[in-house]
Amino acid sequence: MASLRLFSTNHQSPLLQSSLFSKPLVASPRFVKNPSRRSPIRSVLQFNRKPELAGETPRIVVITSGKGGVGKTTTTANVGLSLARYGFSVVAIDADLGLRNLDLLLGLENRVNYTVVEVLNGDCRLDQALVRDKRWSNFELLCISKPRSKLPMGFGGKALEWLVDALKTRPEGSPDFIIIDCPAGIDAGFITAITPANEAVLVTTPDITALRDADRVTGLLECDGIRDIKMIVNRVRTDMIKGEDMMSVLDVQEMLGLSLLGVIPEDSEVIRSTNRGFPLVLNKPPTLAGLAFEQAAWRLVEQDSMKAVMVEEEPKKRGFFSFFGG
Amino acid sequence: MVSLVWSFLSNEMASIDSLQFYSLCNLQSSSIGRVKLRIPSSFVVFRRRPENLNWVRVETHRRFVCKAIGDDSSTPDEEIQNTQNDDDVATSQSNIPRRGSEDSISRFRSMITNIARDSESSIWRFRSMVTTLPPVIFVMKKCSGNSLWIGICIAATVLVAAIRAYVIRKSRDNRTTGSVADLVRRGQLRSGDRRGISKSLNYEDPFNNPFVKVGKGSSTVEMCGKVYRLAPVTLTEKEQTIHQKRRSRAYQWKRPTVFLKEGDSIPSDVDPDTVRWIPANHPFATTVSDIDQDLAQTNVYQKQGVPFRIRAEHEAMQKKLEALQNEEKLNNLGIDTQNARDFQRPYKFSAKLDDDSIQKNSPENQTGNSSTSEEEETRKS
Repeated sequence: MASLRLFSTNHQSPLLQSSLFSKPLVASPRFVKNPSRRSPIRSVLQFNRKPELAGETPRIVVITSGKGGVGKTTTTANVGLSLARYGFSVVAIDADLGLRNLDLLLGLENRVNYTVVEVLNGDCRLDQALVRDKRWSNFELLCISKPRSKLPMGFGGKALEWLVDALKTRPEGSPDFIIIDCPAGIDAGFITAITPANEAVLVTTPDITALRDADRVTGLLECDGIRDIKMIVNRVRTDMIKGEDMMSVLDVQEMLGLSLLGVIPEDSEVIRSTNRGFPLVLNKPPTLAGLAFEQAAWRLVEQDSMKAVMVEEEPKKRGFFSFFGG
Repeated sequence: MVSLVWSFLSNEMASIDSLQFYSLCNLQSSSIGRVKLRIPSSFVVFRRRPENLNWVRVETHRRFVCKAIGDDSSTPDEEIQNTQNDDDVATSQSNIPRRGSEDSISRFRSMITNIARDSESSIWRFRSMVTTLPPVIFVMKKCSGNSLWIGICIAATVLVAAIRAYVIRKSRDNRTTGSVADLVRRGQLRSGDRRGISKSLNYEDPFNNPFVKVGKGSSTVEMCGKVYRLAPVTLTEKEQTIHQKRRSRAYQWKRPTVFLKEGDSIPSDVDPDTVRWIPANHPFATTVSDIDQDLAQTNVYQKQGVPFRIRAEHEAMQKKLEALQNEEKLNNLGIDTQNARDFQRPYKFSAKLDDDSIQKNSPENQTGNSSTSEEEETRKS
């Protein structure tokens, strides 16, 4: 989960930042040699500067998995809001036609009046269908359809391409990121969702059913011409990995052969935040999963991948008064 | 001669030290039973008799008797009689009989005797010194007040630890209860329409998070107070390429470009490999296509102004009203206005308007209206 980079907390020149950025995580000599003079490590994996956006904008990222229930929508909501918090303008498209949930996770379900179907029909303009998040105004949500409405056949993929083109040319400027929440399966919804995408984030859990589907979906994406595929391994439990009851992240990577964008630990706060309609990354104090999503979003911005993963939790050093619960 | 023993016992350990005075005194008893005691300093015996300390057997049987014989009235026989039950007897006598007619042999004997007595007295002094020292347990017993406070402190500490553990466990148990009602009660779940639009939780600086720290040597990372060990990623680009080749062999896939509902016939100009068959109940599988593709694209690209359908409906309604005004139906509406004083009339009128609006909002009607407006537009053109 940890990025192999060390960012100092001091403000540095862009040159120094880029040089630090390109190096693996080795403690800065300045920090090592003068421990008394060093500033407290406040943001090693986060970050005292705005991430540098790599690639052409808008970055069109589809978040897919194949198997259902692995955390695509959670990832979309949290990564999207993290990107917005980093200062980028983000449009999240819920491309799940029948079972949309992204609005629920973001707490915006009562503000979705128009969808893409209404836009196509001419009932509203595109800017009216975009739901702007009041917490982070540079984050917007766009739903494809209402639960019981139907999209005309053959419109799906083309409609998304039109949408992307329209977003590129809108008066307030092109968004930096267009994140598409893909439905489960490899059906028409999947084909529609991946149509405009340039890169993909594959979400999987460390179990064999999800891995098989992930491998198949990766193959389909590669056949469709999407080569930039990174994966997020979700719901990782280090205690089960230690007991050899769960595949480790490195095992998953060995099986799929994809570079890692993030590793999200299992966290009960996910359910709580879902029920509250408040994404994890906005929690205070931050949770483990929220931090992991933030780091994944950071790597997504800079088109980076993980160089080291957390394998297990070190046993806690027990103090002298640990008998008394200290 | 009566021997009287005075025992001084300590307060709680009655048998620890006893001071006994063996004295040669006269005991006179009066009519009221009082006892007069005369203690000449001729014969005083200090005796230490820890009788009840059975658990310190080593020292309990030791007794010493200190005798001070001040006069000649006491005979050695009495001394022997008085001290025959004692373990150790130390006797100091100041007068040693001399028989002057002895020669050097007797002098030598007396010298030997003196030496023996000196050594005996020194041994006795040493033993008395040792036995008069109180054992450690007696010192501890004397600090009984302090031990009470120590015990109270230990008990209080254990009590505090137990209460703390109980409170922690209780709070942990409370935390696991996660029903929706509980979440609403605790304010974590916002019910109703307040969800999601509330103020954020003030965690607003993603660039300064103190919850992530890398340990020494970059082999560990601390996140949210937990320390995790790091392992380097070993995937190489060569392995990635091998996986890509494997997948390209395994999954021969061409993106479907044509979606057909199950049961439809394939058009002649369509490659069957690019056809995606959609079940009839799929959200995509609607055959009702109100608008053509170009019009939909135009609608998506529209940046300003009234949306197409709204404008078309509005224009269609205006034309309809104009047509109605020009026709005789307008007279019928005039008849309705004559009855405007009727209470039911405004209600019926508004209900009629509502019905009209509902019909206009339904998809079929939208289609019909749009088609009619389009027809009218084409007629005009």
